[in-house]
Amino acid sequence: MTLLDAQVNTKYKVCGVSGEGNARRRLLDMGFTPECSLYIAGVAPMGGTVLVGLRGFLVALREDAASLIEIKAAS
Amino acid sequence: MAEYTVSLVGNPNVGKTSLYNRITHSLEHVGNWHGVTVTEVSKKIMFDHNTVNMVDLPGLYSLSVYSLEEGISRDRILDKSSDLIINICEVNNLARNLYLTLQLLELDVPTVLVVNMMDELKKQGKVLNYRKIEKVLKIPIVPMSAKYHSDVHLLMQVALDHIQTHGANTVNLEYLEKLPLDDVISIIGANAANAGFVPRWAAIKVLENDSFVLEKLALNELQTKALKAMGDMQARVAQVRYEFIDKITEGAISRSVSDEHHEMHEHTEHNVPIEQEGELAETHDKKDKHARHHNKHKKSERLKMLGFSRIDKIVLNKYLALPIFLLVMALIFVLTFGLVGKFFTWLLELGIDKLIYAPLTKWLVKIDCPAWIVGLVGDGIIQGVGGILVFLPQIVLLFFFLALLEDSGYISRVAFMTDGIFRKIGLSGRSAFTMLMGFGCSATAVLTARGLEDDTMRKKTVLLTPFMSCSARLPVYSTVAAAFFAAGSPFIIFGMYVLGAAVALLLAALFEKCIKPLKSGKLSFIMEMPPYRFPTAERVFQIIWNNAKVFLIRVGTVIFALNVIVWLLSNFSFTAGYTVGKDARSILEIVSGWIAPVFKPFGFGNWKAVTSLLSGLVAKEVVISSIESLTSGDMYAIFTGAHPSLSALTFMVFTLLYVPCVATLVAIRKEAGIKWMFFSLGLQIGVAYVVSLVFYGIGLLYYLNKGVFIGSVIVAVVATICVAVLVGRIRGKNKCPYCSSGCGSCIKKCEKKSEPKK
Repeated sequence: MTLLDAQVNTKYKVCGVSGEGNARRRLLDMGFTPECSLYIAGVAPMGGTVLVGLRGFLVALREDAASLIEIKAAS
Repeated sequence: MAEYTVSLVGNPNVGKTSLYNRITHSLEHVGNWHGVTVTEVSKKIMFDHNTVNMVDLPGLYSLSVYSLEEGISRDRILDKSSDLIINICEVNNLARNLYLTLQLLELDVPTVLVVNMMDELKKQGKVLNYRKIEKVLKIPIVPMSAKYHSDVHLLMQVALDHIQTHGANTVNLEYLEKLPLDDVISIIGANAANAGFVPRWAAIKVLENDSFVLEKLALNELQTKALKAMGDMQARVAQVRYEFIDKITEGAISRSVSDEHHEMHEHTEHNVPIEQEGELAETHDKKDKHARHHNKHKKSERLKMLGFSRIDKIVLNKYLALPIFLLVMALIFVLTFGLVGKFFTWLLELGIDKLIYAPLTKWLVKIDCPAWIVGLVGDGIIQGVGGILVFLPQIVLLFFFLALLEDSGYISRVAFMTDGIFRKIGLSGRSAFTMLMGFGCSATAVLTARGLEDDTMRKKTVLLTPFMSCSARLPVYSTVAAAFFAAGSPFIIFGMYVLGAAVALLLAALFEKCIKPLKSGKLSFIMEMPPYRFPTAERVFQIIWNNAKVFLIRVGTVIFALNVIVWLLSNFSFTAGYTVGKDARSILEIVSGWIAPVFKPFGFGNWKAVTSLLSGLVAKEVVISSIESLTSGDMYAIFTGAHPSLSALTFMVFTLLYVPCVATLVAIRKEAGIKWMFFSLGLQIGVAYVVSLVFYGIGLLYYLNKGVFIGSVIVAVVATICVAVLVGRIRGKNKCPYCSSGCGSCIKKCEKKSEPKK
């Protein structure tokens, strides 16, 4: 599943980042690497954008970028 | 005596410019959001008899860059013009910051690491055992809090020592062994040498698929094929770097067991030799075990704290977010233009009139000065320039509130919550930054668009920002509104700001639909959200002082000079000299008279209005200072139509929308090219004229017959709703399941596109 299917305020782990080009590199550089845990901190009031917490900081992602991030439930 | 170049490099919003200001005693713009610095800034300082050229660079996450302003930093780091790089990290997300540090070490540039925002760590009751990281990375680390106070002297000492003693970096980047670097070097070695890259570094970048490096390497087909065969290593590179970081930072940040211990640690921070510090950390570890169960509890608390904080729960609430934003803006404008600002402006006005204007003109008359000099000094200079100067309090207030918005981190929330709207019109929440900064100064706001990663989006943002009402337009609204609508003027001024923003958003939607080169389609949006921070008085004053200074300098130079020129040209004729009291037409009366008929429909088709609008091209404040000096404050000499108050409103609308100033046009040329500058020029004048025409027409309807006016408004609203519902119906039926488009015309295209993925 991807970050789009994630529940708010639940911990997950990154499996990988799909896609290609700039958006993927930016996500990898920001630390969306395999086994990194993350959670969705909130959704924008008008939707379409989610706030993700990982590695001690928050980052706003549009749905298309969020859909690149494959996750699994944190064990 | 020697001369060194030292560059400040780091992730966005870690406090590079704060530190730069500390070191160089400068007042560069800082803010709690990403991308404040968009160009390199440098200043020479003296330190220990050495000249040090400090360079402040825009923030970047990685040497593989994403936007234009990051490219500036990357080029500066790669060209090796710096003797030393001071890499600034933020202690709150050390891991992500160290990611860039590793890349600097891979590049083997001399580096000193600063760990900033130690104050925030201290507030959480934690300490950083930075010696542990220092031992692995083998570069000096200096912890500090650049926002409040910092031992800049110590940092510079460490930095210069490092330059003088620096050999090659001795760090063992063990994670690189997990990458097939030797294989890559054997393929690209010769190309890397030709392009002037260190082979190992070029190999890492090739694995990362960095387009900049690949382009420079100019590989042939065979080489590209050989690289392709190695598979996609991009994620692997990021992963091994982060694994290494996680290893070296593990346990580096720990809770200080007691405050006493914390105090002790603080005091010994800089003086204790490494061995002793190690011992200290060990005892520290033992104590930590006792506190571990305590820690577990705290961990879950931290997760909560990072998420929607209590403030965000309200500020970003689904239903409250927009009303709160509008309320905040309204409050700012009412305070700035209504209550507080107006009082101070009135006070200043009184002061100038009673203490300067009256005595000076009296004295000039008394010493028998020629009439034209009395006129020039009294009406041209004091009335005109003084008429602008009185807005200093309002401008200070406006920038005070903008500084609060910026420094607290609220502006990033605005970007996040408006992204939904901006996405629909082909912009991103990041554009909201630039456009909000447009309330301050259009020209400088346009420059901040450089942080936008997409080319089309940047062009569009640059074109729209001038419609946001800048602080130079404020005196025009204030003066005109005060003359015609005494009590309601703050609301009318607020209305102008809303109108400007609405026009900008409508145009964005129009561009997205109709103008192909400006259609950006679906774009990704990735933006870090800074935590809320308490703005310090020092920084807020710094922002106010910077802008007040710019304003005063403008008043003293451009506005002053322009006023003198306008006054002279409008009171002298080619043949008859000074025109007052004579039957002769002045130079401007003739020239502006040619354009005047264009504005006839709005009720200000006279040469005085045209002159003020023309001179406003240089600086918008001059619009009002020209009016003041041309008419001696009598507004009815400008608004000569049948409905002066409606003409006055239309005049404000026109002033809001036409070209802000030459400086903005220059900035647009810089960011988008000369073609788009001319497009923007035409757009601004065209939009200003059309909107003014519509506005005046609607107003006229109101004046002619209120019943007809209200009736047509109702009809218009109902018609709009009907059309919206109908269009929505049609769209809903054909909605494309693959993209956000509602028209359904792209279903086939999107189907094809998404097939190969699955």
